[in-house]
Amino acid sequence: MAKIEIEIDGKMVRAKPGEMLISVTDREGISVPRFCYHKKLSVAASCRMCLVDVEGAPKPQPACSTPISEGMKIHTQNEKSKSSQKAVMEFLLINHPLDCPICDQGGECELQDVAVEYGSDVSCFSEGKRIVADNDIGPLIQTDMTRCIHCTRCVRFGAEIAGIMEMGGTGRGDHLKIEPFLTEGVTSELSGNMIDVCPVGALTSKPFRYELRSWQMNSTSTIARHDLVGSNINAQTYKGNVKRVVSGDNDAVNETWISDRDRFSYEGLSHENRLLEPQIKIEGQWKEVGWHVALDYAVKGLTSNILNNHQSDQLGVMASKTSTVEEFYLLQKIAREIGSENIDYRLNIKNLDNTAKLESNIKLGGLEGVDHALIVGSNPRLEQPMINHRLRKASLNGTSVDVINSMKFDFNYQLNSENIIAPNQIASTLAGVLSSVLASVSIELPDYLQSIKVSKESASIAEKLNNSDNSVIVLGEHVVNAENSATIVNLIAQIAKHTNSTTLNLSTTANSLAAELTGFVPGSKGMNVNAMLESDLKAYILLDIYPEYDFHHADKAIDALNDKDNFVISLNGFKNDIVSEYSDVILPIAAFYETSGTHININGDMQSFAASVVAPGESKPAWKVFKVLADLLKLPGFNYVDSTQITEEVSHQAHNNHLHNENIDLSITSDNINIIWQQSPYSIDALLRHSGSLQQTKIGKLNFAYMNASVAKDLGVSADSKYLGVPVVITDAVADRCVFVNANKATQTGGES
Amino acid sequence: MNEVCFKNLDKKDSWSLAVYEASGGYSVWRKILRGELTPEQIIDELKASGLRGRGGAGFPTGLKWSFMPRNSAGQKYVVCNSDEGEPGTCKDRDILRYNPHAVIEGMAIGGFVMNATTGYNYIRGEFIEPFNRFEGALKEAYAAGLLGENISDSGVDFNLYAHLGAGAYVCGEETALLESIEGKKGQPRFKPPFPANVGLYGKPTTINNTESFASVADILSKGGKWFADLGVENSGGCKLFSVSGHVKNPANFEVSMGTPFKDLLEMAGGMRDGAKLKAVIPGGSSTPVLTADVAMAMTMDYDGIEKAGSMLGAGSVIVMDESTCMVETLTRLAHFYYDESCGQCTPCREGTGWLYRALKRITDGNGKDGDIELLLNVQDKIMGNTICALGDAAAMPVESFLRNFREEFEYYIEHGKSMVKG
Repeated sequence: MAKIEIEIDGKMVRAKPGEMLISVTDREGISVPRFCYHKKLSVAASCRMCLVDVEGAPKPQPACSTPISEGMKIHTQNEKSKSSQKAVMEFLLINHPLDCPICDQGGECELQDVAVEYGSDVSCFSEGKRIVADNDIGPLIQTDMTRCIHCTRCVRFGAEIAGIMEMGGTGRGDHLKIEPFLTEGVTSELSGNMIDVCPVGALTSKPFRYELRSWQMNSTSTIARHDLVGSNINAQTYKGNVKRVVSGDNDAVNETWISDRDRFSYEGLSHENRLLEPQIKIEGQWKEVGWHVALDYAVKGLTSNILNNHQSDQLGVMASKTSTVEEFYLLQKIAREIGSENIDYRLNIKNLDNTAKLESNIKLGGLEGVDHALIVGSNPRLEQPMINHRLRKASLNGTSVDVINSMKFDFNYQLNSENIIAPNQIASTLAGVLSSVLASVSIELPDYLQSIKVSKESASIAEKLNNSDNSVIVLGEHVVNAENSATIVNLIAQIAKHTNSTTLNLSTTANSLAAELTGFVPGSKGMNVNAMLESDLKAYILLDIYPEYDFHHADKAIDALNDKDNFVISLNGFKNDIVSEYSDVILPIAAFYETSGTHININGDMQSFAASVVAPGESKPAWKVFKVLADLLKLPGFNYVDSTQITEEVSHQAHNNHLHNENIDLSITSDNINIIWQQSPYSIDALLRHSGSLQQTKIGKLNFAYMNASVAKDLGVSADSKYLGVPVVITDAVADRCVFVNANKATQTGGES
Repeated sequence: MNEVCFKNLDKKDSWSLAVYEASGGYSVWRKILRGELTPEQIIDELKASGLRGRGGAGFPTGLKWSFMPRNSAGQKYVVCNSDEGEPGTCKDRDILRYNPHAVIEGMAIGGFVMNATTGYNYIRGEFIEPFNRFEGALKEAYAAGLLGENISDSGVDFNLYAHLGAGAYVCGEETALLESIEGKKGQPRFKPPFPANVGLYGKPTTINNTESFASVADILSKGGKWFADLGVENSGGCKLFSVSGHVKNPANFEVSMGTPFKDLLEMAGGMRDGAKLKAVIPGGSSTPVLTADVAMAMTMDYDGIEKAGSMLGAGSVIVMDESTCMVETLTRLAHFYYDESCGQCTPCREGTGWLYRALKRITDGNGKDGDIELLLNVQDKIMGNTICALGDAAAMPVESFLRNFREEFEYYIEHGKSMVKG
């Protein structure tokens, strides 16, 4: 569109016609005060702070809602503008408590900042001030609504971004009160952003309450590692501790929002369960020792158990999905240098012969541009909140969304269809889709589709994909342990190929893309995790693993690791009894925020970060531990000074991928009850499980085995009993012949069944 | 007197379809359905009539209707504002009670002109009887085949619904009214965009007052010139005035524009108990108050009242005799706006509360030096800075009361009691 010229404070400025005045002044660096305006939210024009003088308009106009037009002349600094702005400022302050010294927002308060310039020293308001009673809106957000200036940013955030209007304005006039409509308060997975958008001290961080002033803290930008997005965040630190996390801006990644998981997980860093000293087990007794002793002990153990006997293939290494690129890379390098290719991170997969590869070939921003999405086996809102946010934006712009899931979830956007079927029926539904797609483009059906009957649902899903110019198929976590999971994945790949759809693979989370890139997978001569557990290996190096949460075959894993003939080196950030039981050496390592490293997100962005704080006690970043361990083992090529040298080396490595099952086998039609085992969203890694406030939220408390009445009857459980250690909920929201489990930290068992 | 909206007032069951039709009702609508009138002709006639919006703003109705993008694709709406909430006004209530079919016909004509196939009449929450009357009239009109789809095989569609409000004054502001119809909290929208472009459910919408709609059919049947000639220059037609306060017979009067105020006062039986006139609010509580002398010399039309220093508004004439304490009256008005502010924008939310509290303090006997300046200062800071006109409406009376009756305020502040009541 051709640009037009307007005059602001005597200066000619070019801008797009119809653009709001405030975005022009912001771009030009002209200061216009505002409270209700937020660049990512709809315009409210209600605070009236941004009133400016537009020539020809009898009244001052709000810059946030005045579209510009050719030849417009605007005065932002003249008497008319200033007197309106000062009038509004005075009105805002009359009922504001002005209790800045005891307000948590003090020092980072927009009202305070603007009042310095626009406020008066003396108030002529002598009536009583308004007091607003507070509701407890949950463990994450502290309210002090007497300070509220009714900008409604939090209300608009809920309605527009979180997709659920949990805060609203009740009452009118100066009885208008911003509050949640429901007694359960604010429960959204994105709720913490309300703290960031609140310009005053009405909504502040509850865990951070009365801790510090903003100016006392250092801020370091870093990357959140709980999901596939790698949200950009700022860790605010004081005397070596992370005290608060706020969102960072990156339009290609998280825009300006972050999930509550990314915002509040830092609390786990200071948990009393942190492992602070290296320990070795001598004759069954744990002894805290220095690093030299511990590493010597580790080297000796490896030497006597495998190296001296030329049994280097008896070493198994495993790592948590949340490890950094550098950690994955060094650990697999150690294993390969020693001579073992028994390397794996896919601890939660039931059958690793039944996995297939599906690449993600659409970027986060691209998701907003699709016109149709098919989601298979995912509850994206809780599992990948920031990706769900993009899908929601797309949906609001008219994108249709079909879902094939095994349970009805609370989507925060409209679905075109919601097909609730057990995992072992997903393959046949997708086969129907593929059959229908191939028929429509006159491609001969392969043998495996010959006997497939296309259901009405499959035909309609196929039609949507066929008619779409820009569709995406999203694969989630729920099918990874289905009996025919490889078939499901391969069918999706075929459907995508023939409908020109992009694919988005959310079936494994955190930093698992880094594991694939760095070759943290079994080599051609190596064993995968499940094979290792059955092979009585002589030595293990385990990075940040907590078997009762991480392994699908948890009992088998604990048994295998407990074998008294093996030597287990564990690197952990937190104490854990089971780890103590089977390990011979436990090395304390840095957690999130305490190490430098790199995360790879779904865009393929390699986002590196520095440590925000030093790890507590004697704990060290794992990459340094591996480097020293390698040196002590006299392995070549570990001559790193800092972690960026490792990152560079990784970037130059060829991909080193494990094998994938490319079969499509539709013959599996068992009538078994399908179990989908999911760690609750706030229990997926050790740091989250130690984050007190998150655990108290509604999402943190998710610990239920959902099933319908007939499945409960078959399994012999009832609503007041437990299944696999998880409390049972009887509901028709779950597909028949299916149990959907969300297990939180209260349930210490893997997904074995 | 009583020539347009109230022309059937003296007839039995004046609200019935039969009475309405007997007086020529629906003849214009039937002409339209027969294809004998074009939108352009209607707009020209309305422009010639000089009809100006009767809700208070006085915007020429013909011009307003011509703004609608009638040929654009998509749904358009026509909305009637019967949320008559201005203190002092009760004219629309009586139109709905005694002549509801005139509103229906006017809305249907508006729908035709603007190519809007759906209409809503938003009726004030407290108006249960008028609401039921209007609903009854709608039933009659549907039964007579005057509304619906493809009416009388004309190809013209018009469906009309009544919507009962929930008791908020601010919903009389047209965009708050639209929000309320949509089921949301009644809060005015910022403009632009204006409802003619983005209105009800985001579609082009025209909103007119009940009296405006009720005048349309007669204008079209008798001609724009006939209507214009009823009034004076720049104020065509006749107008309903709701005369209340210290008069013998408070009532609604439909009189020609330009009628002298003193004649109107006479129609209302003159001052009650022979008391002396002290002040008049000529157009509803938001318009500036006038002193007796000024009022008695004023004519009741847009220009006449403006010349006197106030506004015609909705034609709500509040008459006050000498027993009236202007400080307490203003306090009561300030309380009204404080109570009715929607609260979304800062100057109105905070300013109306400030004005009321300061005035309340004065009438409680706790006034202090500087209070008059404070009140003037606060009203000035509200004025022109708000999203909708409610802020201005709250500010204006403060200025005019203080300008015209300042000594009463000074007395109250100094003595802690009313100059009038003692």
